[in-house]
Amino acid sequence: MSTVVLISTRLEKALSNFLAFLMAAMVIDVLWQVISRFALADPSSYTEELARFLLMWVGLLGAAYAYRKHSHLSLDLVIKSVSPAAQIRLNRFIQCVTFTFALCVMVFGGYKLMALTLSLKQNSAALGIPMGWVYACIPISGLFICWFAFDNFIHAGSHSENNNNSKV
Amino acid sequence: MDPSILILVISFTFLLIIGTPVSISIGVSTLLTMLVSIDFIPAVTTTAQRMGGGLNSFSLLAIPFFILSGLLMGQGGIARRLVEFAKVLIGMFPGGLAFVNVISCTLFGAISGSAVAATSAIGSFMIPTMNKEGYDKNFNAAITVASSTTGLLIPPSNILIIYSLASGGVSIAALFVAGYIPGLLMAAFLMIVCAIYARIKKFPVGERPCLKDVALRSWEAIPSLALIFIVIGGIIKGIFTATEASVIAVLYAGFLSLVVYKEIAWGDLKPLLVKAGETTAIVLLLIATSTAMSWILSYENIPQDLSTQLLNLTENPLVILLTINIILLLVGVFMDMTPAVLIFTPILLPVAESLGLSPLHFGIIMIMNLCIGLCTPPVGSVLFVGCSVAKTSIGSLIKPLLPMYAAMIFALLLVIFIPALSEFLPEFFGLYNMP
Amino acid sequence: QKNDRQQTLKLAHTLNIDHPVHKALIYMAERLKEKSYGAMAIDIYPSGQLGGERELIELLQIGSLAMTKVSSSPLEEFIDEMKVFSTPYLFEDNDHFWRTLNGDVGRHILLSGESVFLRGLGFYDAGSRSFYSVNKPIHTPDDLAGLKIRVQQSQSAIQMVNTLGGSATPIAWGELYTALQQGVVDGAENNPPSFWSSKHFEVAKYYTLDEHTMVPDIILISQYTWDHLNPQQQGWLQSAMDESVVYQRKLWAEATEEALEAVAAAGVEIIRPNKAPYQQKVQSAAASAAQNQPQINKDIINKIKLLRK
Ligand code: NA
Ligand code: NA
Repeated sequence: MSTVVLISTRLEKALSNFLAFLMAAMVIDVLWQVISRFALADPSSYTEELARFLLMWVGLLGAAYAYRKHSHLSLDLVIKSVSPAAQIRLNRFIQCVTFTFALCVMVFGGYKLMALTLSLKQNSAALGIPMGWVYACIPISGLFICWFAFDNFIHAGSHSENNNNSKV
Repeated sequence: MDPSILILVISFTFLLIIGTPVSISIGVSTLLTMLVSIDFIPAVTTTAQRMGGGLNSFSLLAIPFFILSGLLMGQGGIARRLVEFAKVLIGMFPGGLAFVNVISCTLFGAISGSAVAATSAIGSFMIPTMNKEGYDKNFNAAITVASSTTGLLIPPSNILIIYSLASGGVSIAALFVAGYIPGLLMAAFLMIVCAIYARIKKFPVGERPCLKDVALRSWEAIPSLALIFIVIGGIIKGIFTATEASVIAVLYAGFLSLVVYKEIAWGDLKPLLVKAGETTAIVLLLIATSTAMSWILSYENIPQDLSTQLLNLTENPLVILLTINIILLLVGVFMDMTPAVLIFTPILLPVAESLGLSPLHFGIIMIMNLCIGLCTPPVGSVLFVGCSVAKTSIGSLIKPLLPMYAAMIFALLLVIFIPALSEFLPEFFGLYNMP
Repeated sequence: QKNDRQQTLKLAHTLNIDHPVHKALIYMAERLKEKSYGAMAIDIYPSGQLGGERELIELLQIGSLAMTKVSSSPLEEFIDEMKVFSTPYLFEDNDHFWRTLNGDVGRHILLSGESVFLRGLGFYDAGSRSFYSVNKPIHTPDDLAGLKIRVQQSQSAIQMVNTLGGSATPIAWGELYTALQQGVVDGAENNPPSFWSSKHFEVAKYYTLDEHTMVPDIILISQYTWDHLNPQQQGWLQSAMDESVVYQRKLWAEATEEALEAVAAAGVEIIRPNKAPYQQKVQSAAASAAQNQPQINKDIINKIKLLRK
C-alpha cells in the first residue's frame, strides 16, 4: 500500500469515527432540549445553539467524507460517453477544480473567517464560545477535501471504473 | 446582458456537464461571479461565511434526524411491518405500494413540514421495498420525491411562515388553512399518475389476503404505526416542536429496533450513524453552496433585473400571470425554496396584486411553483435526497418525473384559475377577509 | 445614472419593505443623494436576502458589505458595551432613553466597535419590549411564574426573563409561531410593531405593556468603508443619517400606535400594568446583573442612571 493510500485510509477512518460522534451528540443534545423543557420544566439555554453548531460540523466534515466515498451527486452523461483515456483526463480536471475550490474558499477563505472572528473576539450568544472555533469546520473540511482530491488525481487511471458508486 | 450572470450561467453549466459534483459546481461558479465585483480575499471569506451561515439553522436538523430514523426504520423491522400492513390493505390493487408511498409521503411531509425529511424518511424504506416487489426503481424514487413536496402546503409548514413574513403580513393561520386543499389536490393528481403507470407498466398486484392475515399484519404494525401518533400527538400537545419531533422519531425507532424487535444490534449503530451523517452531508453541502449562490445573485440584483425585463414584455393580464408562474418555475429550477421566497415575494407580489390576486392566493401559487422546482435539477434538494436514498442518478429520474411534473402543473393551473381552492377554507373559518 | 465617480454603499437589513426602518433608510438614501449632488448613493437590500443580523455584521468585518441595520442585541456578541441595553428598567421613560442616546453616552456606545471594524452611525427607535402570552394574562410579575417565555439565544436575554420570574426558553425565531400555537412555549416578548407583523397576536391573546427593556436598532458602517470616504463624504453620510433618525422616530411612533390598535381590533387584550412591582423585582437582580457586566459597562450604567430626572 502506497503512503498516499495509507494516509487516505487513516483519514477516512478518523472522519467516520468523528462523524458518528457528532451525530450521536446531536441526537442527545436535542433530546435533552425536549426533556429539560417538558419533563424538568427548566429549559436548557444552550441546546438550540449547540445543535446548530454540531450541524455545521456534520455538514462540512460529512461533505469531506462523502467526497472520499464518491457519493456527491453529479451528472455523468458526458463522462460515460467518452473514451477511457478522455475519462481519466476529465476526471483529473474535475479533481483540480475541486482541489482549487476547497483550497481557495474552504481552506483559505474559511481560515480567514476563522482568524477574523477569533481576533475580533466574537463569542456565541448562548454558549459564549468563540465563533472562530465553530467556523473551524470549514478549513478543516477543506483540507480533507484537498487531500482526497489529490489522491483521486494521482489514482485517476487506476480506479476510474471503481467510481460507479457515485450516483450520478 | 450583465457580465456576472453570463459568468455564472456559463461556468455552472460547463462544470455540471463535464461531471463535477453539483455542490462544487455551484460553489465554483458562485466564486467566479463574486470575483467580478469583490476582491479575492473578501470574496473567498464571504463565500466561506455564506456556506457556514447556510447551515446554521435549527430547522435543518430535521434532515439528519429523519434520515437517521429512516435508516433505523428500514433496518430495524419497522418499515417491513408497515409495508406488510399496507399491502394487506391496498396491495391487491394494481400499484398498491405506489399509493401507500404517496399517502405516507404526504402524511410525513405534512407533519414534519419538510419535504426533504419526508423523502429521506419514507423513501429510505419504501423505495427498497418497492424495488424488491418488482416496481421500477426510478419510478419509485420519482413518486417519493414528487409526493413529499405536498407536505409543504399542508400545515405545519415553515415555508408558509417565511412567506407570511416576506409578504409583509398575510395571516399565518389563514395560509395554513389555505394550503390544505391545494396540497391534497396535488397528492390526488399524483395518485392518478400512479394508477395510469400501474396499468401501462403492469405493476405487481398482490394477492387478496385472508381475514386472519389482515388481523395479524395490523396487530404487528401497531407499534410501528404508533410512531406517527407519537410524532403528531407530541406536536399537537405542544411537547415538542416540528423540528424536535424528528429526534423523537429517532428515539422511538431506535427503541423499537434495538429493544423491542431486536433486529439491530448495538454494534450496528455506529455504521448507521456514519451512513446518516454521510447522506445528510450530501444535502447540507448543496444547501451551503446554494446559500452562497443566492447571496451573490441578490448582491448583483439579478433576480430583480430578470423579473423586470420579463414583466416589461406585455400588458395582457393573463400573459403577465402566466409569465409570473413561468418565472417562479424557473426560479425553482435554479434556487432553493427559502431564498426564492424571500427574494421574489417582494418583487412579484405587487404585480400579482395589481392583477387582482389576493396575497393569500398568490402565496399558495408561489409555494406550489417552488414545490415543482424542488424536484427538478440542477438545484433541487428533494430530488437530491431522493436520488441519494434510492441510489440512482438524477438523469434516470427525469423520465418518470415528467408525468408527475405535468400532474403538479395541472394542479397548479386549477389553483391559479379557481381562487376558491385556496380562499374558501380561510374565509369559511373567518380567518381571512377578502380585500 | 451611475457614473464612475459615484460612491455606492451597499446596505442590507432583515426587515420587510413596509417596516419603518426600511422607509427611514430609503429616506436616508434620498437625503444622501441630494446632499452629495448625486456623488453618493445607497443600495438597500431588505428582507434578509444577504443574511441574518449576526451574519451581516460579519460581512461588514469581512469587507464585502458597507452598511447594515441591526438590533443592539446580536451586537452583544461583538461589542461588550451593547450588553448595557439588556438591563431591565434601566431607562425611566422615552425621554430619558433619547437623552442618553443623543448625548455623550450614546456617542461613546456608537464608537465602541471601532476596534472590531464596526462603526455606529446612529440609533433607530425599536421601542420597548413587552410580554405576550397565549392562555394566561400577565398582570403582575407573579403571573410570570412557571410560564415558558421564548427569548432570543443570548445570555443577557435569558437572565432578563428569569429575573422577572418567567422561565426563559430559547426557541428559533422561525419556529416561534407554531411553538406558541401548540403550547411549546406560553409566551414571548417583543415590541408592538413586531408583535403585529409576526402575526403572533393571532395566537397570543394577551399583551402586557410592562416595557421591560428598550433595545435600540443601530446603523453600522464597516470601518474599512468609513476610512475609505473623505471627510466631506463622511459629513454628508452622517448628516443624512441624523436626519433619517428624526424621521424614523416619527414613523416608529405611528407604527406602534397602529400596531396596538390593530392587535386590539383583532381581539388581543392589552394590559397596561402598574410597572412598580416589575421594577422592584429587578431592583436587586438588576444590581446583580450589573455585577456580571464588564467594568466599562458598570461605568456606562452609572452614567445612564445619573441622567435620570
Ligand atoms: Na407540513
Ligand atoms: Na430545482
